[in-house]
Amino acid sequence: MLSIKNVSKDMGEFLLDDVSLDIAEGEYFVIIGPTGAGKTILLETIAGIYPPDAGSISIGGRDVTFVPPRERNVTMVYQDYMLFPHLTVEQNIGFGLEYQKVPPEERRKKVLEVAGIFGIGHLLHRYPGTLSGGEQQRAAISRAIVLEPAVLLLDEPLSALDGQTRERLRQELRSLHAQFRTTIIHITHNFDEVFSLATRVAVMNKGQIVQAGTPEEVFRHPTSSFVAEFVGVRNVFSGTCTTEGGLSRVSIARPDGKKTIISSLTPHPEGPATVTIRSEDIMIGREPCTTSARNSFAGTITDIVDNGMMVVVHVDCGLPFIAGVSRQGWAAVGATVGETIHLTFMADPVHVF
Amino acid sequence: MERNPKTAEGPAEDQFVTGDLRRNGVKMATIAIALVITAFIISLLLLVVTRPDPQAVIESLLSPEIRFAIYLSLVTSIISTMLCIAVGVPAAYALARYNFFGKSFVSMILDLPLALPPLVAGVALLLFFGTTAFGDALASIGLVFVFSPLGIIVAQFFVNLPFMLRIMRSTFTDISPRYEYVACTLGCTNLQAIRRVTLPMAGSGFLAGAVITWAKGIGEFGAALMIAGATRMKTETLPISLFLNMSCGELELALSAAIILIVISVVSLYIFELYGGSTKF
Repeated sequence: MLSIKNVSKDMGEFLLDDVSLDIAEGEYFVIIGPTGAGKTILLETIAGIYPPDAGSISIGGRDVTFVPPRERNVTMVYQDYMLFPHLTVEQNIGFGLEYQKVPPEERRKKVLEVAGIFGIGHLLHRYPGTLSGGEQQRAAISRAIVLEPAVLLLDEPLSALDGQTRERLRQELRSLHAQFRTTIIHITHNFDEVFSLATRVAVMNKGQIVQAGTPEEVFRHPTSSFVAEFVGVRNVFSGTCTTEGGLSRVSIARPDGKKTIISSLTPHPEGPATVTIRSEDIMIGREPCTTSARNSFAGTITDIVDNGMMVVVHVDCGLPFIAGVSRQGWAAVGATVGETIHLTFMADPVHVF
Repeated sequence: MERNPKTAEGPAEDQFVTGDLRRNGVKMATIAIALVITAFIISLLLLVVTRPDPQAVIESLLSPEIRFAIYLSLVTSIISTMLCIAVGVPAAYALARYNFFGKSFVSMILDLPLALPPLVAGVALLLFFGTTAFGDALASIGLVFVFSPLGIIVAQFFVNLPFMLRIMRSTFTDISPRYEYVACTLGCTNLQAIRRVTLPMAGSGFLAGAVITWAKGIGEFGAALMIAGATRMKTETLPISLFLNMSCGELELALSAAIILIVISVVSLYIFELYGGSTKF
């Protein structure tokens, strides 16, 4: 459907460096990455705002690399809405239809229909400056979707909204995608949006796509320490891998000169390797756990951070581990800083690359 | 000092307290300076307006000479303002939106007429239109700039273009290019996006720029004097009239021209501020 091949673009401050991406018809593709990773330029290059320095872009099999935006059938929604302030909501939503030579009565019908879907039908006569953020973003999405684009580009569409509005609009995007099956590319910083919306996710850094896959793959099995840290895997260690009866055993040098060995089910060739363990996969207890779990370590609690939903416990087992437990779970353990505690985790959720 | 509350540590603390938070010497001194200079400016303007006999001023305003000066000033300043708009708006757009080789040099040169003494600009224009083959060619098709009203227009245009340009450049810079990007994805060509989205959004900056350019055009003297000369009833704009009548002792005529210029300045400055011009210049 949308095929990006080896696209590079240098804008000085931001760049795209040899980006290739294939997005299937009807996919909800989410792109995450730190600020300045080149996410917005990628969207704007897909939209045809600037010509790429190298590479090609095709949509539905048609090469659009140097085709102007108006002939691409790609629409775009920005974080800060970009509604035209001198036009009413109705004129904003109908703006693109004018250029498709849709007669006024039919234009009005389509605008009403789309506005109805987003529950902003009663705001059509108002000017954007008088609307709330959520209403403005609904109008901006309506303006983009009313043209029935081949690809809809969303650049952090929910980031400027308050928590409740964001939650509601996220649901609306979900049902919108379910209803229209529009191919969507959505940039965000928010991992909730990845898990609730994405069919696939890509991580960008320094103008490159460093990993793409299903949210599960990317969040469970990062292929680089950048991705691991970015997606919030708190425990990332480097060491040497040996293989033993189908098990990868990674030996990690500790600051005190000794070694810790972590076992994993991920197949990995012998040699240098990085191990990642998500903090919520680590179980914590006062006594060593007697299950079949492969990895068990004792250590001293160095810090306890209660972030409201979870308790994050920092434990020094020679290596600094970070474990996340529910508040109830932590209350049951009832330990404080300085006490000795046992960490246990299975070989299965340990990822090696 | 006597009103300092005693702290728990006792009176010993007082020796460190040398001022009073409620008395700000810097604030009072700086405000005083601003007030004095404001009073000075107002008294100067009032002096010009009240000095002549009102009856004589009205008579002068109705005299053919002043009426001609008003007419010539309006026509030349309106035409030169339109020329500044025609050139300044696209050039400002280019400087605000695009990066190109030599941009900072171009930007500096376009601002240069601001710093250049108008007399120097006038001499340069006189040489250009009076002594070059290009000037001769224009003259041969009837476009005579030297010692003619056309010269006044070109002088006003040259000296005041930077005002339009600077205000429009910062106006365009303040409008996110993303509005145009969105318009383009919705079906606009680049030009349509500018016309349908950017220009309407630039309205107040445009008004502020046009008004200040026009007001400066009305008051233009030095450059116009050099290229168009000061010929009574021919190239006599309001400032030239003020100069001519002052030189030959016609105080009433001179001051009535001055009064008109003051009124125009005050009104256009008000409009300029109303549309946020001072934040854009």
